Amino acid sequence: MNFGKDQLQQDMMELYVGYLENNIPHLEHSRSSTSSFATSRRMGIYEPNHQIGMWEDSFKADSSQITCASTIVETDMKLDYMAELEDIPRKGLGQPKKYDQETSHSSDKVLRRLAQNREAARKSRLRKKAYVQQLESSRLKLAQLEQELEQARQQAVYIGGHLRETNLGLSGSVNSGIAAFEMEYGHWVEEQNRQTSDLRTALQAHASDVELHMLVENGIRHYDNLFRIKAITAKSDVFYLISGMWRTPTERFFLWIGGFRPSELLKVVSSQLDTLTEQQKSAVSGLRQSSQQAEDALSQGLERLQETLSETLTCDPSGTPGVTNYMEQMANAMGKLEALVSFVTQDGCLIASMVMNMHLPHKADLLRQQALRQMYSILTTHQAARGLLALGDYFQRLRALSSLWAARPHEPT
Amino acid sequence: MRRMVAENPVVVMGRRGCCMCHVARRLLLGLGVNPTVCEFGDEAAGEAVALVEEVAVVEAGGGDVRRLAMLPVVFVGGRLLGGLDRLVAVHITGELVPILKEAGALWL
Repeated sequence: MNFGKDQLQQDMMELYVGYLENNIPHLEHSRSSTSSFATSRRMGIYEPNHQIGMWEDSFKADSSQITCASTIVETDMKLDYMAELEDIPRKGLGQPKKYDQETSHSSDKVLRRLAQNREAARKSRLRKKAYVQQLESSRLKLAQLEQELEQARQQAVYIGGHLRETNLGLSGSVNSGIAAFEMEYGHWVEEQNRQTSDLRTALQAHASDVELHMLVENGIRHYDNLFRIKAITAKSDVFYLISGMWRTPTERFFLWIGGFRPSELLKVVSSQLDTLTEQQKSAVSGLRQSSQQAEDALSQGLERLQETLSETLTCDPSGTPGVTNYMEQMANAMGKLEALVSFVTQDGCLIASMVMNMHLPHKADLLRQQALRQMYSILTTHQAARGLLALGDYFQRLRALSSLWAARPHEPT
Repeated sequence: MRRMVAENPVVVMGRRGCCMCHVARRLLLGLGVNPTVCEFGDEAAGEAVALVEEVAVVEAGGGDVRRLAMLPVVFVGGRLLGGLDRLVAVHITGELVPILKEAGALWL
């Protein structure tokens, strides 16, 4: 342990002050002012280094615990100092006479006081040590937390990097909504895979219609779930949904307003059906036609929306012919863009467009849902089970294709 | 407005420039129907919605009133069919074409 000069002086200060506190009752000061008080006292009264030798000499006869000044054990020094404080020169002290009286009257009391001071000083040192240790551990914890935070941030940047490229970031909470959706969608896919394999097993085992009915019901409800969570996310992150970034690349290849085309879905479902009655065949054909017509209408609505937004962004409200001021036009365009982003605009057309934009993917999902439901209503339970299996299979293969494609060996360019 | 609904077999009512209105119109056009389109500016839109809701109450016989907060709405044969969702749903189930034929909007 290192008891340098500073430590000694510090201890002395504490001890001395402790002694003073005990013996000069009117001296009241808080712990914080202790050091300044002690320092001023110390400065004014004695020079420790100079006096150490003196004290030692005068007490050699009385004390058997005196050791060399430079390598002194704490307690020994304490004893020496405490003993010497009695003989402190009177200049600078408040009531020197009191000291003399106390010394001469009862050495027991003094000894007890000395012990108390030692105790007080030791306790304060222990307290200080504990406090410092607490600070140290807090500092370590803080450093740890900062490191974790940095790692988490880096991960978020890495994961969110490609997300930011694709979403417009209209609101501050974009990423959290997207992250939640991606997680839910991940679970959805897992569940779909499970259901698909259950369907396959049941069909191969020639399960009863009752069993199949339950599986079909679950399957339909599962698709309803997907449309539901998409609808929720569309409220805040519609552009993200439309971008299809939450799907694998091959699925994205077939993207139509945030998902698969209803006509595509129906085609996949009916691809596996070879046991349709004539009535069923015509019903399915009619459904596919209706679905296609609705799909076309929605597509045209989307195009119209794009046109409208585009016009709003490019039209010059001043309408002055021959305006060649580039900066002015840019400023106008920027104003329109900001209006687009902030949703604050007097242009009813723009508001309506943005509102409708949020509804279009919902309409597309609604069409998907309705088309699937109608399809299943045409089919028998067994046929519906095969249809659902076909759908699940299709998506699985599509996703697998994505992985294969991503893992293919590249030709160096 | 009422007159328009009464006089025309198919009426699509919506806000000016609304793309959903466009969807409804395109769908009907694709079926061979030529719908009469009635478009409102912002000021009139609120009125229109109120009127439509009034009609909806009458149609439903004061019982179950469907909330029509959104335009566009479609009238067929002078009667309120519903919004775009209803139009598409009815079309998917195959009920739309018969209704249109009945209203004289479609000829085979």
